[in-house]
Amino acid sequence: MQHARAGVRAHAVHVLAGHRARPLPALVLVLALVAGGFAVWAGQDWYRAAHDDRAAYAVQRDEALAAGEQAVQNLNTLDHQDLNRGLDLWESSTTGELREQLVSGRADFAEQVKKAKTVTSARVLSGAVTELDDRAGRARVLIALRVTVKASGGAKTEKDSRMLGELTRAGGQWRLSALGQAPVGGAPAG
Amino acid sequence: MSTTRHHINRQRRRRIRDREARPAAFTRAPESAGSRPRTRDTAVPVSPDAPPPSASSAPSSSRSSSSSPSPSTPQSGTAADGERATTRTRPRRPTGLVALCALTVLLGGFAGWAHAQAEAARDEPARRNTALTDLARTSEIKGQTAKAVDRLFSYDHTDPAASGKAAKELLTGKAVGQHSDLLADVRERADEQKAVITTTVTESAVERIDGDRARVLVYADQSSVGTAGEADGKEGAARDEGVYAGAMLAVDVVHRDGRWLVSGIDTFGR
Repeated sequence: MQHARAGVRAHAVHVLAGHRARPLPALVLVLALVAGGFAVWAGQDWYRAAHDDRAAYAVQRDEALAAGEQAVQNLNTLDHQDLNRGLDLWESSTTGELREQLVSGRADFAEQVKKAKTVTSARVLSGAVTELDDRAGRARVLIALRVTVKASGGAKTEKDSRMLGELTRAGGQWRLSALGQAPVGGAPAG
Repeated sequence: MSTTRHHINRQRRRRIRDREARPAAFTRAPESAGSRPRTRDTAVPVSPDAPPPSASSAPSSSRSSSSSPSPSTPQSGTAADGERATTRTRPRRPTGLVALCALTVLLGGFAGWAHAQAEAARDEPARRNTALTDLARTSEIKGQTAKAVDRLFSYDHTDPAASGKAAKELLTGKAVGQHSDLLADVRERADEQKAVITTTVTESAVERIDGDRARVLVYADQSSVGTAGEADGKEGAARDEGVYAGAMLAVDVVHRDGRWLVSGIDTFGR
């Protein structure tokens, strides 16, 4: 008799549990939907963050600046004892018209430097991109440079240069295509 | 899984249990009663008329079989199935519920991971710097910085208060001291020559924008126009002595109250 009663009671408990269990699935369902919503939102957010045009643009900007700073430094570094290596570096840092100028004037220039026996080194103080056309692959940079020239006598002179550079991207590489100093006392350039 | 077989088994077991209830009631302790009939079911032949096994043999056999069911007897297997079946027929929802819970955890985990990825992507140094990527802000900073530099480094000996006013309006933090140091000798020179020093920013570029802080590289021309000539009574324009000097400086600016204030002036050690 006890067992029979226990069985009935157990059955009743099951029935009760079945009724009581309903809020739980509802809660879990709501949680699942909320989690699903978050997942969709976070996924979209991630996708957007990963495929942001501005990110690619920012990367190009930083690459252009890094290449520009390096190129400007290269073009202001020359050791009369190691001319060929220095001038090769000049050519590899540049492209377009600037490169043509360097190539055509190389012999004369080398002669001058050999005579003067100077060692020129440069340090980039600061640099920034003023314009960047991501698609066309063109950029303009300002680079503040400190150039140190060591004459044959050992005397050192320091000079600050306000460089304006133009970069062109060729084959995924930014190279200097024009370089000059910001004019002093003239009308604002550009 | 054939649930009908389990159902039949269970019904059979219940019938047997009911039949046994009377003799078991007074021979067995209540707590062991629960385990005994179940194990006895396994031992009981399929025929429902089988006599109940002797109560004296029950304790030892039931305990050993319940703790370690021998796999050799096929009956013990069906008993285990039966037990599982009772728990399975009851819910069927829990499997769905468990799956839903797992899904929730998975979705939540993915959400958290994707969010972390997005944050990490945004935290890349290249992207944190919004110079040029945020064009509006970049030109705003350029414009305000150029104006600030023009005002801060221009000096008219006839209106020395103007530069003080500019300093008060445009400078903050350590730039105040830097500016007064820089302007000190300009001022002295200008007062001596009764000159008007005009600074004009010719080129500027934003190096970095990080939230409400930015750094701008500025090229500026400084022209000094001596007005000492006017004392000679020469009518006409002030004599332009054409003293131009090119300067370059990096200016740190902070965004405050809708304006960009100069918070640092770097003249690169000059």
